Amino acid sequence: MERDDRKITVLHISWEFPPFKVGGLGTHVYHLTRAQAKAGMEPIVLTCGFEGNYGKEEKDGVVVYRINADNIPAEDFFSWVLQMNMLLQIEAAGIFRENRVSIIHAHDWLSTTTAVALKHIYRVPLIATIHALESGRYGGIRGDRQVLIHDLEGKLVFEAWRVICCSNFMKYSVVSTFATPEDKIDVVPNGVETAEFDSLQFNEQEFKNRFALPHEKIVLFVGRHVWEKGLDILMGAVPMILEKHPEAKFVVTGDGYHRQHCESLAKQNVPEGKVLFTGYVDDDTLKKLMKIADVIVVPSRYEPFGIVALEAMAARTPVVVADTGGLSEIVEHEKTGIKVWVENSESLAWGVKYVLDENNREKIMRMVENAYSTVKEKYSWDNAAKLTRKIYERVLKEYEKVTWKPRPEIFGRMDMPIVGID
Amino acid sequence: MVDQLLSQRIAEKIIKRLGIDERDIEYSKKPKTVVLITPDFFPRMSNEVSYTTKEIAQHLATRGVNTHVISYDPWKAGQREDFGGFTVHYVTNPVRAYSPLTWTLTLSMEVSRVIADIFHEEGNIDLIHAHEWLSFPAGIHLQAALRKPLLVNYYSIEHIRTPGVCNGYTEAVKQIEWMASYESKRIFVNQDWLKNLLHIHYSTPPEKVNVLNPEDKEFDKKIIRNYTWVVRQWREMIEK
Repeated sequence: MERDDRKITVLHISWEFPPFKVGGLGTHVYHLTRAQAKAGMEPIVLTCGFEGNYGKEEKDGVVVYRINADNIPAEDFFSWVLQMNMLLQIEAAGIFRENRVSIIHAHDWLSTTTAVALKHIYRVPLIATIHALESGRYGGIRGDRQVLIHDLEGKLVFEAWRVICCSNFMKYSVVSTFATPEDKIDVVPNGVETAEFDSLQFNEQEFKNRFALPHEKIVLFVGRHVWEKGLDILMGAVPMILEKHPEAKFVVTGDGYHRQHCESLAKQNVPEGKVLFTGYVDDDTLKKLMKIADVIVVPSRYEPFGIVALEAMAARTPVVVADTGGLSEIVEHEKTGIKVWVENSESLAWGVKYVLDENNREKIMRMVENAYSTVKEKYSWDNAAKLTRKIYERVLKEYEKVTWKPRPEIFGRMDMPIVGID
Repeated sequence: MVDQLLSQRIAEKIIKRLGIDERDIEYSKKPKTVVLITPDFFPRMSNEVSYTTKEIAQHLATRGVNTHVISYDPWKAGQREDFGGFTVHYVTNPVRAYSPLTWTLTLSMEVSRVIADIFHEEGNIDLIHAHEWLSFPAGIHLQAALRKPLLVNYYSIEHIRTPGVCNGYTEAVKQIEWMASYESKRIFVNQDWLKNLLHIHYSTPPEKVNVLNPEDKEFDKKIIRNYTWVVRQWREMIEK
């Protein structure tokens, strides 16, 4: 495809991008870049490739460069990330040679070293999206690994021309953690494609049979099994919910270091067959599960945004969320969802029971419809792309006025290797 | 015919008396700006790496080459010091790393920043010379980004620093060392055995490796000759 020099060409640096996904970061970058391409921008994604899925790919107006991230030797995950960044930097050199990149857009600490080095080498403005903070994920900074991540987050925020956060909660987390000026941060909420849920066509009963008995009501948890997602809080609520609603069936998707702990909690407190740990499921299955679930719970302790709640709303499924972080901003209590106290199993049990209660059926149906229209109005990826574009334009306008510019020679002809001397 | 022979002999005598190496005349296109990256430098550290780097920088400075040394020194970070003809830029790691590997990989973004600033201020860098594996990640990245030839100096390799050890850390260091040997245009070592080890462990072509010791009589000339050769080859290739 011919790239147009007049368009805004954005280089997104994100360690995950579909098909490789770990958390919500990959999904965010995937949808945002597609919406940006639709809005007339030229997004390029620099990311990791695994199992032979390397190289350049162009789809829906988004150009993706995947480095070979298989078999990178490293002492642990953190040094693996930094080694991977070294490869990203080399790949980026080729991207800058082929494209006139006007903005570098880095996502989270995992791309800090690449983003900062590229910013200074090419003297192109850097924008950083901070999706979450290490201090929030673990409720503080303790070990030396956490110190490194915390510092890399701080460095990225410091070096960025502007910082994007997905919620006001995250904005103030960044302000208070790194003493960042408030006016350096913009809030751009994540989006969700309602059409992806509306267009689902499948035999619901047949699909449900894979996870629950026909009479059972599915209470769904979607997320990584990590401390901040609060799966253990849900496990604490299960017996209380079953007491009133023995027909409830708890389906837990995802995986993580907390899984074993939560599985043992389920074994201790819950009758056999009432909690099903599915592990990671594919996107299609997940969407269908969200669609057929009777209630989706998001019991997080820390949630910068809470895209699962938004997806639940788009799927027209009632959602019960902990009143924390971005979830507090997305959900309006009893209008678009049910809010419960944070880190409180009893409150969570109350919320789930409230939704499952047949007497509240009408209220819940109204709530679901409200939630769906809120998502359509406020939380689309097109809207996110529009807001992001405004930030880019502002930065480029400011950039025009400064003397900090690259030497044109840096974008010249490519080199070839030299070996041997006479 | 006799006149021709006489004038040739006179020219040879003059060259000999002036101490000019004939090959230097051929390599007249010496580099104008050179950047040396080193983890260690005086006065913070006095070891083989700092000594060799200083020797090279001094020789380059006396030959009129604009020389910049980028070195780690947390106490003098941000300072530029004139070291008698060449400039030393001190950097520190902007983040707190927990191992030599994470330290190296995070320091490289700061080294890249300083070298990029030199590039944008001065308009050009002809050559980057990285010393020891701790400088290699920055060197490899800058070669690709600035499109300038990279030369590397090995003082040892991970295989001899941690013999028989095979874990994530050592394998990562070995990969960085291998990448530098592959990506660089010229390699310097101070002993023949290290040249052999590079060939054995990293399959480095022996003709790519030069044994250069600062104690050599012709150390300065050899350095300049190698630099000039690489820069000349590079320019010819770019011009093509």
